[in-house]
Amino acid sequence: MNDLFDAEEKALADARRLREHLEEVADPELRRGVGALVKAFERSLREQRRLVRFSDRLQGQLANLNQELQRRRQEAEDALARLEETQETLVQQEKLASLGALVAGVAHEINTPVGIALSCASHLADATERLKDDFASGSLSRSEFSRYLATAEDTSGLILANCDRAAQLIRSFKQVATDRTSSERRQFDLRDYVEEVLFSLAPRLRQLGHQVSIDCPSGLTMDSYPGALAQVLTNLVMNSILHAYDEGQTGQFSITVTQPDADSLRLVFADDGKGIPTEHLPRIFDPFFTTRRGNGGSGLGLHIVYNLVTGPLGGSLGVDSAPGKGSSFTLLLPRVVRERENDTVEAEQEA
Amino acid sequence: MTQERLTIAGTERSPEVDFDFASGRFSMRGESYPEDAAAFFGPIFDALRRYLQAPAPDGITLDIEFIYFNSSSAKALMNILEMLEKSAADGTRVEINWHYADDDDTMKEFGEDFSEDLEHVTFNLVSVDG
Ligand SMILES: Nc1ncnc2c1ncn2[C@@H]1O[C@H](COP(=O)(O)OP(=O)(O)OP(=O)(O)O)[C@@H](O)[C@H]1O
Ligand SMILES: [Mg+2]
Repeated sequence: MNDLFDAEEKALADARRLREHLEEVADPELRRGVGALVKAFERSLREQRRLVRFSDRLQGQLANLNQELQRRRQEAEDALARLEETQETLVQQEKLASLGALVAGVAHEINTPVGIALSCASHLADATERLKDDFASGSLSRSEFSRYLATAEDTSGLILANCDRAAQLIRSFKQVATDRTSSERRQFDLRDYVEEVLFSLAPRLRQLGHQVSIDCPSGLTMDSYPGALAQVLTNLVMNSILHAYDEGQTGQFSITVTQPDADSLRLVFADDGKGIPTEHLPRIFDPFFTTRRGNGGSGLGLHIVYNLVTGPLGGSLGVDSAPGKGSSFTLLLPRVVRERENDTVEAEQEA
Repeated sequence: MTQERLTIAGTERSPEVDFDFASGRFSMRGESYPEDAAAFFGPIFDALRRYLQAPAPDGITLDIEFIYFNSSSAKALMNILEMLEKSAADGTRVEINWHYADDDDTMKEFGEDFSEDLEHVTFNLVSVDG
């Protein structure tokens, strides 16, 4: 067998032989000395062998640990990648869902002016039919004719106004809807835009009896991603509707915009509802944290809000709430979003 | 000067040491990869050497329970075992219990290796529920 300690063993054998030779020639003192040396050498060699074995074993253990560590890191990285993919999918689904809600809101809202225009038009058609008949039979009186003129004036005015209203609704909805899907960057007037977004939520709010007050300086222009902002506001409002009040209770929401300096703005959304328990506060922005699991909540709403505010909108976000004291969410946003945020959104669009 | 007891608190990288010289019960437990092994084990060697000049009549029991140790600590341990072996050869009763977690084959093998040179010391391998 090949022995790494061959040379040492050979030296030891020489030393043993030397000791034997000395048996015959040397004096006892010298023999004892050499004997002790040989013993020490033997012991040292044994220890050396053992130590090499030890450190081999220890290094083997270390290598195993390293491999294990490497494997676990890979696992963790894979899991993270999968999670990010899932999250991305869920964000897309959430976008679609909020678009669906928007479309339902649009349908409801447009129904009213279109319905009025329709009944006015049919009323006008009936009156016109009667007028035609009377004219044909020669029984059309002067007073009847002037009554018809008044009806025609009223109804056509109403039809015009309501069609105008419907067209205006469609325009603003179209704006919000394309913003939501395209995540395009543009300049917009903040107050007008916030009003438009709230307008799209108005049917739901009105139905439940909630009031919203908007306090925002006029002429405040943002250069940012209005779609992201719309989604943030929609999620905050929907949360207040869903979580802050018991059935039948009505609430007062407020949106307050101030300008700490020329380049940034502070937007505070607040409700006066039941508030968020202190122990939930640190977790509400976590993905999948919800108190309505199995009841329509996915727990992604505020996570998406957080991602949009800190991502495309380039700002920061905080919450202030206590049980019975309502909740307020404070967004600090740059008025003009920085250039590099642009890249990420465009990259997202390409994907 | 008679020494009563040597105790060193364990740290993340050095073992807890408790040598109760009066009763002859000694123990070393924990991790052992001190920054400077010579500095850590030096005082232990000294105390042990002094004690072994006149060991307790009932002899010595040393419990060793290491989770991890480095090569320097292994050498230091061999030195301690050598001292105890010499003393046992001179007639002191010395018993060493090498504790290892029952699923830790490597620690068991270490124990077997350490016992290799011991003739007069009683060396027990003690498996502990891991
Ligand atoms: N305005 C609020 N008042 C009281 N609690 C709130 C309010 N906003 C959020 N919460 C609490 O924070 C939790 C997380 O909100 P988040 O929007 O992330 O999820 P969700 O609304 O439950 O589900 P999803 O938005 O995915 O449908 C909610 O389940 C609720 O407990
Ligand atoms: Mg929500």
